[in-house]
Amino acid sequence: MDPLIKSAKEGDHLAFAILFKENYPFLVKYLMKITMNPDMAEELAQETMAKCIQKINLYNGQSKFSTWLISIATNAYIDQCRKQKRENNWRGQEEVYRKLKWHFESRNEEWNDALEALGKLPVDVRVPIVLKHYYGYSYDEIGAWMKISSGTVKSRVHNGILAVRRELKLGEETEGRHTRQRTTK
Amino acid sequence: MKKQKVVILDNAQQNKHDLDAIHKIQEGLSKVDQFPVYTPDLQWFESMVRTEKENSRKKLRKELSLFLIIALFILSGIIVSFYQMPGVFIFIQIITPVFIAYYTISRISKKVKINE
Repeated sequence: MDPLIKSAKEGDHLAFAILFKENYPFLVKYLMKITMNPDMAEELAQETMAKCIQKINLYNGQSKFSTWLISIATNAYIDQCRKQKRENNWRGQEEVYRKLKWHFESRNEEWNDALEALGKLPVDVRVPIVLKHYYGYSYDEIGAWMKISSGTVKSRVHNGILAVRRELKLGEETEGRHTRQRTTK
Repeated sequence: MKKQKVVILDNAQQNKHDLDAIHKIQEGLSKVDQFPVYTPDLQWFESMVRTEKENSRKKLRKELSLFLIIALFILSGIIVSFYQMPGVFIFIQIITPVFIAYYTISRISKKVKINE
């Protein structure tokens, strides 16, 4: 195990601080991708670090420290969404990506339609897509973090990709041509 | 035979569209990675760790004392009822497992509904 993690487990504050400082940009950027809201990402990053301090004894060193952080952050975000839903405070999905879009525009970056399509997806579909197709985690790992079976993760990712395709109008021409051919037959 | 060929071609085309969509998502997300993220200095992280540890220690102390007070209260109530009102004692012994079973089942069914 990494000596820094060992020291952190023994209660060394500085070791914890170094670990967090090293992983902070990675964590915030991951949270930005799943929440699509830079402010919420920073808020959740702090919550994740707090949970990490409480649960450090459960970290067994089998996976990378950053991977462990991602699993805690994913659960923190899902929990927050559930809480908001329960409090009837759930903002519309459309609003989710608006802040990110604003950040893109303020930096003169070209907005990507795929991000908008991703932002329109429900949280439990968006998160596995990001984890699978951007970070390359396996269906089993994602399922374990989200407390669902790997088959469910697979179907959510598949349906999510289909929804993004529909939104981006990818393959509509060919689909249309096929239906036209079928009707003429 | 011909029909099978068409199906294979369709699948390949579907996969190509899926890959295109995935590629576009990756392209968009990689732009997010280029965003500058302000990272606080080491002292900030250290004080955050210290505060968080202090908070969790306080929380643990509070929860433990609350647990001990409640346990003491329940235990003294049971002892008093055992010696003074045996009828109430037997009633409590029956009603407690029934309540625990009902609560557990209702929580599990709620969780299942949420996951559905």
